[in-house]
Amino acid sequence: MPALSDITSKIRESAKKLLADGRAEVVIGYRQGTVPLTTSPFFARSAADCDQLVWSNFSRINLANYLPGRPGKVALVAKGCDARSAIGQVTENQILKDNLYIIGVPCTGMIDTNLVVAKETRPIKEVVESTDDAITVKGEGFSTDIKKTDVLRRNCQTCANRTPKLADELIGAETPGAAPDDFSDIKALLAKTPAERMAYFKDLIKDCLRCYACRNACPLCYCPICFVDETRPQWLGKSNDPMDTLTFHLLRGLHCSGRCTSCGACETACPVNIKVREFNRVTELTVQNNWNYEAGLNWDQKPPLTMFQTDDPADFIK
Amino acid sequence: MPEYIVKESALTEFFKSLATGRRLLTPQGAGDKCKLEETGPDKVRFDYSNTHMSPKQLFFPQNENLMSFHNDASKSDPFVYKDLGDKANPAVIFGIRPCDAKGLSISNRVFQNDRFVDPYWKGKFDKTIKVGLACASPSPQCFCAAMGGSPYGEAGLDVLAFRVGSDLGLKTITPAGEELIKQTAASQADLAGELKNQEAAAVKSQGVGTDLKPIDDKDLMVLFQDPHWTATAENCLNCGVCTFFCPTCHCFDIQDEQSEKGGIRMRNWDTCMSWLFTVHGTGHNPRPSKTERVRQRFMHKLKYIPLKQDGTRGCTGCGRCVVMCPVNIDIREVALKMCQPQAPSQA
Repeated sequence: MPALSDITSKIRESAKKLLADGRAEVVIGYRQGTVPLTTSPFFARSAADCDQLVWSNFSRINLANYLPGRPGKVALVAKGCDARSAIGQVTENQILKDNLYIIGVPCTGMIDTNLVVAKETRPIKEVVESTDDAITVKGEGFSTDIKKTDVLRRNCQTCANRTPKLADELIGAETPGAAPDDFSDIKALLAKTPAERMAYFKDLIKDCLRCYACRNACPLCYCPICFVDETRPQWLGKSNDPMDTLTFHLLRGLHCSGRCTSCGACETACPVNIKVREFNRVTELTVQNNWNYEAGLNWDQKPPLTMFQTDDPADFIK
Repeated sequence: MPEYIVKESALTEFFKSLATGRRLLTPQGAGDKCKLEETGPDKVRFDYSNTHMSPKQLFFPQNENLMSFHNDASKSDPFVYKDLGDKANPAVIFGIRPCDAKGLSISNRVFQNDRFVDPYWKGKFDKTIKVGLACASPSPQCFCAAMGGSPYGEAGLDVLAFRVGSDLGLKTITPAGEELIKQTAASQADLAGELKNQEAAAVKSQGVGTDLKPIDDKDLMVLFQDPHWTATAENCLNCGVCTFFCPTCHCFDIQDEQSEKGGIRMRNWDTCMSWLFTVHGTGHNPRPSKTERVRQRFMHKLKYIPLKQDGTRGCTGCGRCVVMCPVNIDIREVALKMCQPQAPSQA
């Protein structure tokens, strides 16, 4: 596993070459954030721009979100999950494969800022990412080392596909995947009564502001008009009424069935720390059980719920 | 107005007198759960940096029922919208931060001015006395001084409180604040010098902010047409986080909702980041892309509000949008771009 700074310089090198060769008009990557524990999506169009690209433990937002409908040739800096999202978008005809170049970065997981802040509650002014497996957070009169594995995002802890194997190039060697999600908590939840499940999900979203950061950060949510924004007719109330809010989350979860790559962008974006992925984990488990399908692992397979087959074993569809 | 002091041993008694005849609201909870809540006089804390969301929701809730009707034809007034009125009780907030108090004062001029008075805002806002708590050590995310405020700012406050060792200093700002403090056992003390020194140290700790005067000086249309907006908006997700967390964002949407027995008219927070915010009945949208929407937000904060409110910037430097933005769009960086001299080809 190369150091973050090595990955950064290799990304810059690759980005410059892709721009110079005309393989890409823009390279979508990350630049350093303006406050500690963040990065910001960045669009590099010149060699000078490329020198702003970085790789860090906070390269969380899924940049495939910027691909659908984008004209021209584009290169994407991608973790395993992000590359899977981009491949999913190709299979869903949102972007041409020929226009896409994936700079794959074998990942070791990204850090959840909330977990860092829970461990070090004093105001953090600076983060040093000098080693591969730890960060140092600093502030007024303190310097605290935090092990990376203690503060990984939930989705990263169970990511079996950290290396974007289908990328056009890999920055550095492949990284081993973690033990995959065993869905034990979801299975336990699904064994409960409908009333108990309803209570669980209502409680899960009780702080939701309906800011739609989860939806807008999601690479699957590229509908030109989201059903919650429809006005002719208006399908859903606009307040924080628990049923309206739950309807938004349930329908979004269902709409993402068989397409979610557990990139965690929704949870990273949520300003009130809702475990948005719980909805997606239910549908992913269902899709895996029924069709043995995981999104974005090859270029040809269509998401099962977008397909129709005359020999479908289910009776209702014939 | 004068300063007062409350000894540490008399603090609970002091908060008890503040709460006499009013609800006492103070920041409670930690991290993303920190918010203004009704508090017992012995539960007041000083160990928070700021509430997760701004205090605007006390006066301008995210969802507010304005009026309602019933459809019972056996009564005299079916289908007639009736004002739901204002049921707010008098309150005192202790511990609001100066950035947020300033934010409230900016919104107050939107909801109460010589052209309009919003009864729903007024009913709650005018019944609430605001006692601020100065920021002796501003957070890393803070930049109130750069926006023309101060960690010891007085705008929007009736009283400014500040720590003097373990005691509590108070500076009354409005007659209502003076009256409130006189009802307590706080004793008058000359703390003007102390206050000045504390403020200077706190401002210094924020570092030197950028001089934003070029934005004030530039012509509105020059700022509006500047080509940087496309790049500035490029990574924006167009979610509503910045607007919902902003202490001065005040835009809303009116909705009618019906049930079997009648209906309500409510107003909900809206966000200029959404395409739906401006789409017309015809389907035409004057802000068709995120470039126009992002431009609107920053022009509103840094140009339109200053033009309408005697130079006061619509950003108070609380830093919430900078930290909460999923893609870290930083209003300080945007302000810097707005300050840049125009490229020669655009001149």
